[in-house]
Amino acid sequence: MPLHTIPPQTADEEILNNLLQEGIDRKRGEEQLFSKYAYFIQQAMHKYSFQEEDAFTIYADTIISAIPKIVDGSFQRRSSLKTWLYQIFHNKCVDLVRKNATNKRSVNRTTSISDIFLNLADSARSVVQEMMDRTDRDLIKQRLNEIGENCRQILSQWAEGFSDKEIAATLEYKTADVVKTSRLRCLDKLRQLYKVNTK
Amino acid sequence: MDNLDYMDSYFNSEASLAKKVEFEKKIAEDPAFAEELAFYLSVKQLAREQSEEKKKRFKELYEQYKQEGHSTRQITLVRKFWPYLAAAAIIAGIFFGMHVFFKPASPQQLADKYVQEHFQTLGVTMGDKEDSLQAGLRWYNEGRLNEALVQFESIANRDASSFEAKKYLGIVYLRLEQYDKAISCFLQLEKYTQLYANPGKLYLALTLLKRNQPGDKQQAKDLLQQVLQFDLEGKETAKQLLNKW
Repeated sequence: MPLHTIPPQTADEEILNNLLQEGIDRKRGEEQLFSKYAYFIQQAMHKYSFQEEDAFTIYADTIISAIPKIVDGSFQRRSSLKTWLYQIFHNKCVDLVRKNATNKRSVNRTTSISDIFLNLADSARSVVQEMMDRTDRDLIKQRLNEIGENCRQILSQWAEGFSDKEIAATLEYKTADVVKTSRLRCLDKLRQLYKVNTK
Repeated sequence: MDNLDYMDSYFNSEASLAKKVEFEKKIAEDPAFAEELAFYLSVKQLAREQSEEKKKRFKELYEQYKQEGHSTRQITLVRKFWPYLAAAAIIAGIFFGMHVFFKPASPQQLADKYVQEHFQTLGVTMGDKEDSLQAGLRWYNEGRLNEALVQFESIANRDASSFEAKKYLGIVYLRLEQYDKAISCFLQLEKYTQLYANPGKLYLALTLLKRNQPGDKQQAKDLLQQVLQFDLEGKETAKQLLNKW
């Protein structure tokens, strides 16, 4: 069945089984999971008066953060998949409501790559850019898929600009410091893996 | 790891000019550091691209989800108008209930009611001696309709002038839902014009309403109007029935 024609109502068990597989089955599981509970988006729009884009982003983040937990067994099926997902989604919604209320939205976002480059002197920028151009992007992508779900997830959130504090809240780490330590370890691990192939 | 920590701290805090100069100097003078920084930034860029790719895929799925009839607009519209829809449903329910439970009785329903109230039992003459008509009435009141029927039929055949036998025979036929025979009896009863009180026309109208064949209703109406017009037996009942027309 082509991925784009997946019916939204797939049994949770099938979705979970697909997510525990690799490759195309995992991808199918991700899309099944997304489609099945996509109505959360409308609920959030109604309940919290969110814009559709915001509600979508929260829902997509929910699914993205839920997938590694399902894969690594953190989701222990003590509640239904729907209840568990909704709890994550609800927490994210409340976070956004708080941010909107206190007008702190995006304050905690870390510096983007373009900002980093703009802040560097021309000479330093060209050195770094040249080295980045020589980086084997495909190999990094491949290694990113090999470092484990937790690392991939934490790096993904970091890359999207979330602060360690926000990542801690989303991925249920105890503190932002734990996130930072884990994130740097993941980067180091990734680098070691990368270096093995580039030597 | 130390370099990563250093980079991370540099990017995640407001760097002073001195720190910035130091950082740039390290890039220029330490190729290993520059390389590590390039890796750090490349990972950040690629991880972001991957995440955005996944979100883009989800976005496409979401658009498809909406197109498949899970339209946001549709849902929000329903929610927006939900109080009005609920109110409309309640009002419709009330009207439906009134229509079903408080609907004005039709002439047929009134005819049913009349038969129920007036023909359930018939008046018996009190006396020491019971004649055949009284025996028929007693059986009728005991619910032995077939025996009463035989009795009244026998009297009517024996004595053509017995308008009471005709009347009771017609009533038994009406109770037994043998409307054609009841009509025949009441037509004959109607002809007893010398009677002070002849309910023939009223009973005939009631039987026609009960039979309810094409034309019966109109015929019953005509009969009831005659009852009213000529001030016949059952005038009040005729008036009530005509009011429901």
